[in-house]
Amino acid sequence: MASQLVSISSTLLYAAFILYLIAMLPLAASIKSKSDKLVKIAITMVITGFVLQLTYFILRWIAQGHAPVSNMYEFITMFAIMIIGGYLITYFYFRTKLFGLFALPVSMLLMAYGSMFSREVEPLIPALQSNWLAIHVITVTLAYGILSMSAVAGLIYLLKAVPADEKSWRARFLEAIMAGIVTVLVFIATTVLMQNVIGYQDDFLYQDKQGQNQIAEYHLPSLINFEGAVPVEHMGENNYEEANHFHSGIELPPLIDSQKLNTVLWSFLLGLMVYGIIRLILRKRIIAVLKPWSNRADLNLMDEIGYRSVIIGFPIFALGGIFFASIWAQIAWSRFWGWDPKETWAFITFMFYTIFLHLRLNRGYEGEKSAWLAIIGFLLILFNLIAINLLVAGLHSYA
Amino acid sequence: MELKEIKCESCGHINPPGTQLCQSCGKMIDSDYDQNKIKDLMRYDGSAVRSKTRSKSIFDRIWIFFTSVKVGVSIILAITVAAAIGTIFPQEYYIPIGVDPGEHYQENYGTLGYLYYSMGFHNLYSSWWFLVLNGLLALSIIAASIDRGIPLFKSLSRQHVKKHGSFFRRQRLFLNTERPADTSSLIDAFSRKRYKVRQDGDSYLLEKGRLSRYGPYINHMGLILLLFGSMLRFFPGMYVDEILYLKEGETEEIPTTQGQYYVKNERFVIDTYDKEDGEVFQQALSEGSDLVSNFQTDIVFYKNNSTDIAGSSPDLEEIDEYSIRVNHPFSFGSYELYQSSYDNSQLKAMTFRVEDSSGNTIGDNFTINLDNPESQFAVSEDISVNMRAYSPDFLEVADNGTLVSATPVPTNPAFVFEVINGQESELSLLQIMNSTDITANNEYNIRFVGAEEHVASVLTVKKDYTIPFIATGFVIFLIGLSVGSYINHRRIWIRADGDLMFAAHTNKNYFGMKREINEVLESNGFEAVNDKLDEEDNDKNKE
Repeated sequence: MASQLVSISSTLLYAAFILYLIAMLPLAASIKSKSDKLVKIAITMVITGFVLQLTYFILRWIAQGHAPVSNMYEFITMFAIMIIGGYLITYFYFRTKLFGLFALPVSMLLMAYGSMFSREVEPLIPALQSNWLAIHVITVTLAYGILSMSAVAGLIYLLKAVPADEKSWRARFLEAIMAGIVTVLVFIATTVLMQNVIGYQDDFLYQDKQGQNQIAEYHLPSLINFEGAVPVEHMGENNYEEANHFHSGIELPPLIDSQKLNTVLWSFLLGLMVYGIIRLILRKRIIAVLKPWSNRADLNLMDEIGYRSVIIGFPIFALGGIFFASIWAQIAWSRFWGWDPKETWAFITFMFYTIFLHLRLNRGYEGEKSAWLAIIGFLLILFNLIAINLLVAGLHSYA
Repeated sequence: MELKEIKCESCGHINPPGTQLCQSCGKMIDSDYDQNKIKDLMRYDGSAVRSKTRSKSIFDRIWIFFTSVKVGVSIILAITVAAAIGTIFPQEYYIPIGVDPGEHYQENYGTLGYLYYSMGFHNLYSSWWFLVLNGLLALSIIAASIDRGIPLFKSLSRQHVKKHGSFFRRQRLFLNTERPADTSSLIDAFSRKRYKVRQDGDSYLLEKGRLSRYGPYINHMGLILLLFGSMLRFFPGMYVDEILYLKEGETEEIPTTQGQYYVKNERFVIDTYDKEDGEVFQQALSEGSDLVSNFQTDIVFYKNNSTDIAGSSPDLEEIDEYSIRVNHPFSFGSYELYQSSYDNSQLKAMTFRVEDSSGNTIGDNFTINLDNPESQFAVSEDISVNMRAYSPDFLEVADNGTLVSATPVPTNPAFVFEVINGQESELSLLQIMNSTDITANNEYNIRFVGAEEHVASVLTVKKDYTIPFIATGFVIFLIGLSVGSYINHRRIWIRADGDLMFAAHTNKNYFGMKREINEVLESNGFEAVNDKLDEEDNDKNKE
C-alpha cells in the first residue's frame, strides 16, 4: 500500500514535469499574441503541475511517515517546487508573461538534476527524527524559491541590458552562465544515458581515508580513480573478482572523492564539447539567441521583481535557515550554532543578502549591479545546497 | 566654517545645520549633495545626518568611519569571506582529538593545509581577529543606527503638511491637474485605504505604514543584543559544555554541579530499523549495513542531600527517571543532558576455556572480570586455573617476569595463567591473539572464547545563560526585518490651492503603490500619476 503511494507520487512528479515542458509552448506563443488566451492556458497548466507536485509531496509524506525533505532528491525536488510557487506568486502580482519562460526551465532543470540522486524512501536517522525537520526545511526551500525569482529577474535584465556581441567581461560572464546551464543539461543526459539506458558500470575496489575497503561504482569510464584502485566485477552478495576495466591511470588520494570528480570532469568535457558544437551551429553566442525574447522585458519591472523577491525572501530565509535551524541544532546537537560547513554557508548566504540590501538601499546598486548580485546569490544557494552536501563532510552530508 | 542653522527661504522654518530638505515645507536647501551616494534624498527625509554634516574633530572622523555604509559593508564582506575560507578544511574541533594540529593539517592537506593552520584558519571562529571583526561590526551598526535613526525619527514625527511646489515636483510619482470642485471624496477614498489623513488649509498629508521606516533600526538593535549575548559566553559561569562518560550501571556526579546532582546510566540502547518498520523501507533496509533508528540512555537522576558536609559520602535521593534520546535531552534547572555518542571499545570481561593437548575442552569456561579480576577459577573437579599476572594493556614482559602495562585501560589484555592439576602446574602467557608456553611441553592450552565490552554512553552536559540574550536578539532582529520588509511606508501629499498638486512617496514597492493610487484616482475621475522612472526610460529610448 505505502509502496504504491510512493510510486504514484513519483508518477505525479513526472507528469508535472511534462506539463511544465508543454506549458512552455503556449507561454512562448503568448508573448507575441495580443490576447490573454494563450497565457491563460499556460498558467492553468503550470497550476495543474504545481498541484500535482503538492500531491506528490503529501502522498510521499504519508507513505514514508516523515516529510519528504530528508535527502538530496527530496530536497532538490522541494526547491524546484518552491520555484514554481515563487513563479506563480510573481505572475499573479506582476502579471508578466515573459518571466515564466525563464523561471520554468530553472525549475525543470533542478527537477531533472534532483532525480539523479537516489529516489529510494529511507527511514530517518535519529538526528533527523524531529518535527523541526519539516518546519526548518520547508521554510528554507520556500525562501530559496522566492530568492530564486530575483535571480531569474536578474538574468532577464542582463540578457536585455548587456549587448550580446559585446567584447566585455559582463557579456562573457553571462555567456559563461549559459555554458554552465548547457553543462548541467549534458551531465543529466549523460548520466541518464550511461546509467539507466546503457547500464554502464565499472566497479573499483579502493581504500578510503580510514583504510576501509570500499567499492566505487563508475557509470562513466574512469578518467580519475582512487589511489591503488583495483578494477573488480561484482559476483553477487559481497563477492568481487578482479576484472579488467578501462582506467586512465590517473589516481588521487582518498581525501578527494575521485568517483564524483570523474563525473564532474566528464560533464565539463562533454559540456564544453556540446557548447562548442552549439556555437558552431549558431555562429553566435547563446545570449544572442535569447536576446529577442528578453528584449520584450520591462527593465524597471525586472529590477523591481529582483528587489522585491529579495526583500520578501530574505526574512523567510533568516527565519528558516538561521532561527529555526538554530533551535533544532540546540535540541539535536546541544549547540545552536557550531560552524558546521552547512551552517557556515547558510551564514554566508545570509550575509551576502545583507550586503545586497545595504548596497541597494544605501549605495544605489540598482539595475545591472543589482541583477548581478541576485545571480551571485542564486549561485551561493546552489553551492550551499549541492556542493557543500556532496563535497564537504559535515553534519548535513545526507546524500 | 561655523555650522549654522539654516532658515528656509520659502517658509522661514529654522532647520538644523546639514539639513537637505526643509523640515517644514520640503524645499531643497542644499542642492549640493552627492547624487551618487544619496540616490533618494527622501531616504532620511532630507534631515541633517551627523556623519554627512560634521567632519572637523577626530571624533567626527571616527564617527564618519563607523557610520559609513561602505565601511559597514566591507566589514560584513570580510566576515563573510573569512567564514567561507574557514570551510575549506575542517576546523580544529573536527580533527581527531589528541593529534598535533600542525602535523595533522600538513599531513592531510599538504602545504596549503599547513598555511591554513599557521594563519589561524583552523580555529577561525574563535580567533581574536574574527572576534575583532565582529566587534567592529557592532560599533558600525550602533553608530550608523544613531546617526541616521534619530534624525529620521525626529523628521518623521514632526512632519508638516504644507509642502513647497518643488517638493511635489521632485517626487517620483507626481500629478498636476485641474482642481475638482470637491477634493474630499478623493481624500475619503484614500482614508478607506487606511491612510491617516492630516489637513492644513488646502494641503493634505496622507500616510500609512510609518513603522516600516523604523524596521532597520529595530533589526539592528536586535543584532546588537545578539552580538552582546555571544560575547557573554567568555565570562565564567555563563556557559558550561562538559562531557559525561557513563558506563552502563554506573552512577556519576554531574560535572560543574558541585556534587549536587548525580546521574546513573541504567541502560544504553541502540535500536536499528528492521523489516517490520514498514514495507516502504524494504529496499533501503535490504542494502548492507543496519540503519540506526535510536540512541538512548535510560537514566536515573539523583540529588545529593549531603553536599554541605565536606568529604562525606553522597546521600542520593532519586528525583527523576528519563530516557535521553537524540532530539530529546533531559533538563533540570538550567542544565540539559544530551545523548552525544557511545563507546563500546573498552573490554569488560573475557571468557576462556581449557583444552588438553588433543584439543578436547575440559570442564567449564571461566570468565575474568577485567575491572576487578579474581585470581582463582575452578574449571573442573581436578583442574583449576590460577591467574598469576594480568596486564590490561600489554606492552612487554619485564626482567623479573611481571607483565608491563602501557595504560590501565583494558584495550590489549595479557594474562599469565597457571593450570593446576593436582600437584602439577604449568604456566602460559596469553594475549588475545597469541599464546606462548612458559613451561615446556604444556599439556593444557587455554583458549580465548569471547569477550564482553563495557557499553558507555557519552552525554553532553550543557548550560548556556547566553541563549536568552541571543534568542531575544534574533527575534527582535526578525521582527525588525519583517516590519521593514513587509510593511510599506506610503505618503501622499495633496495641495489644492490653484491647481491640484499630487505627489506620492514610498520607501519601497512603487509598483504596488502606483497600482493603489491609480485605482483611487481613476475611480474619482482623475488621470493616472506620472512615474518619473518610466519617463526617464522613455527619454532614453528616444535617444
